[in-house]
Amino acid sequence: MTSSPEAVSQFLSIAAYMGGLCFLLAFMLGIPRLLGGKAWGRAKNDPFESGVVSQGGARLRFPAKFYLVAMFFVIFDAEALYLYAWSVSVRESGWVGFFEAVTFILILLAGLVYLVRIGALDWAPEQLRRRREREQQHN
Amino acid sequence: MLEAIPMEHGLALAGVLFSLGLAGVLIRRNLLFILMSIEIMMNSAGLAFVVAGSRWHQPDGQIMFIFVLTLAAAEAAIGLALVLQLYHRYHSLDVDAASEMRG
Amino acid sequence: MTFTVQQFQALLPLVITCATSVLVMLSIAWRRHHAFNTLVCMLGLNAALVSVYFAAQVGPQAVTPLFIVDGYSLFFTGLILAAGLASVTLINTYIDSFKYNREEMYLLMTIATAGGIVMASAHHFASLFIGLELLSVSLFGLVGYSFHRPRALEAAIKYLVLSATASAVLLFGIALIYSQFGSLAFSEIGPQLHEDARPIVLIGLAMLLIGLAFKLSLAPFHLWTPDVYEGAPAPVGAFLATAAKVAVFAVTVRFLLLEAIGALQIPAIFHTLAAIAIASILVGNLLALRQNNIKRILGYSSIAHFGYLLVLLLTGGPVFGVEGFAAYLTIYVVTSLSSFGVVTLMSKCGQDRDADQLHDLRGLFWRRPYLATLMTVSLLSLGGIPLTAGFIGKFYVIVAAMTFQSSWGWAMLAAIVAGSAVGIYFYLRVMVNLYLAKPGMHKFEAQLGWGQHTSGLMVLCASALVVYIGVYPETLMQLVQIAKAAGVQ
Repeated sequence: MTSSPEAVSQFLSIAAYMGGLCFLLAFMLGIPRLLGGKAWGRAKNDPFESGVVSQGGARLRFPAKFYLVAMFFVIFDAEALYLYAWSVSVRESGWVGFFEAVTFILILLAGLVYLVRIGALDWAPEQLRRRREREQQHN
Repeated sequence: MLEAIPMEHGLALAGVLFSLGLAGVLIRRNLLFILMSIEIMMNSAGLAFVVAGSRWHQPDGQIMFIFVLTLAAAEAAIGLALVLQLYHRYHSLDVDAASEMRG
Repeated sequence: MTFTVQQFQALLPLVITCATSVLVMLSIAWRRHHAFNTLVCMLGLNAALVSVYFAAQVGPQAVTPLFIVDGYSLFFTGLILAAGLASVTLINTYIDSFKYNREEMYLLMTIATAGGIVMASAHHFASLFIGLELLSVSLFGLVGYSFHRPRALEAAIKYLVLSATASAVLLFGIALIYSQFGSLAFSEIGPQLHEDARPIVLIGLAMLLIGLAFKLSLAPFHLWTPDVYEGAPAPVGAFLATAAKVAVFAVTVRFLLLEAIGALQIPAIFHTLAAIAIASILVGNLLALRQNNIKRILGYSSIAHFGYLLVLLLTGGPVFGVEGFAAYLTIYVVTSLSSFGVVTLMSKCGQDRDADQLHDLRGLFWRRPYLATLMTVSLLSLGGIPLTAGFIGKFYVIVAAMTFQSSWGWAMLAAIVAGSAVGIYFYLRVMVNLYLAKPGMHKFEAQLGWGQHTSGLMVLCASALVVYIGVYPETLMQLVQIAKAAGVQ
């Protein structure tokens, strides 16, 4: 641990920031309680959504298709990370790096084409129905 | 600023996280929690890489962390597909329900 | 950053395999046609196998800090590609009766093979990790591919959880080693390991070896092996037993014997590995006695065989060890392909299980004499009977253990002798079943004219090789000199 003046001043500024944060939170929570009016009622405990009364419970069963979309998002998101790493070193890696990145993107594109073609991305029910009808006509 | 924190503290934090994850894998019987514990173990290894990389002032540690993240994402994708299959078949996420083979 | 033509040529097998996986994916996207997709996969893998020859022309090359292409890596690249190709051949007839998407299996298999090649030429922890995960993640999919079978789901879950845990342990070990030495390259860590064995380095090294031992299913970490072998489709079992294991072992040996030589001189590490080797031999052979499932027996057998290989690694030294272990792995791959091939030829993916129970094999000789003969040959080779390839492999191990003058050497020798004796008993038990008269049930039948199918031909070739190597080991011994060249340097 160094205790040079710079380090101490850095810790002090963090401490001041924390203190400010705590004060602000206490202020925002405390002032309405002191100054604001209070009202009770049964309707006050209902979930509120832009003035619309909610319908049914929140525990719906989602189709597993949503899981698939979420997974594609996570996977392609992680792939984009590699492009960040390339983008910060684009000058150092030069043309070789450029062609490697192009290859990488083309492979990702091939993966996307594959996903579209096997029908992993058409999650709208109409499209699904149309596809099934087409398949039945073929058979 | 980072110089103020010794590397051993970072590694110790990563070690604690890793042990928590390992304990979770061993103790939990719900497949979803097992997968979460594995994610914790992966991320603790990633943290150790970042800490080590910052000690040597090299980007290698952060690059390894990107690899770890990618692996974690791929494993989560397959793991969740297996969770769906497990629930579909046994209507439970208990891994012991699926365990038939012994020996 | 430069990238010469020679370096590209040296990397050709890997590049072609990766391109094949993209092409297979696109061909599935273009048209889902089983024969066509298989053709694309086969052509690509064959081209990669041929390109190994051209890669060998440019001599040892370090391609980027991540890969090194020398005789050693090319030998194992060839072995992995051959094993992958054989597994793909086995899939073709096996999966015809599968109701769901059949073609993705080729895609996963090609990606896994690419991962194996990455590992065979890795001399940097980053490439080790990438290769290992390419291999493991596609294997998760392959193990659970026949998901309509309950056992496949169970096997996939067990494999995923344990393999991911092992990966995390391995990663943490790498991170600890990196935190002390500031480098991820094997060659830079190697010299420092022996001189500077701080506790934190020892912990890191131990975690790294535990992770690798998990993937190799060595004794205390073997628990997943029989279950996964039983639940996985038979051709995937063949791949798991051959290409996957070869890749992990190749990189382990490169790290321990060729680059970080100091690691084995640390007494704690050496004693632990020797204990693991003895435990693997005993556990693999003894637990196989009680099994009634041929795939489980082959799983336990692989545990024992990797125990023998570990003995070779510990006692052989960089020159004899590399030669012996290249020969042993080749023999093991050929033998396993032949035994898993017979099981695959009798099974179909559409059924709710493979023909892997001992009573499915009963009386096979009277129904399918050729299949039974091939199975007999491969079982004899697994047991290490003279005149089969397995004997040559065991010969290498015993010579290495005998010339290693230490009490651990004798202990390991005793374990090998005891393990082999027990092994012969349970291989014979399976063999006797093949020849029992009065067949019990005929539930599983090989297709007629299996010899004409490519997979039948492949199994036949593998069995012929087992006998050929057993009778004329000179050919194999010349071949392994390619791998040995790296150890002499």
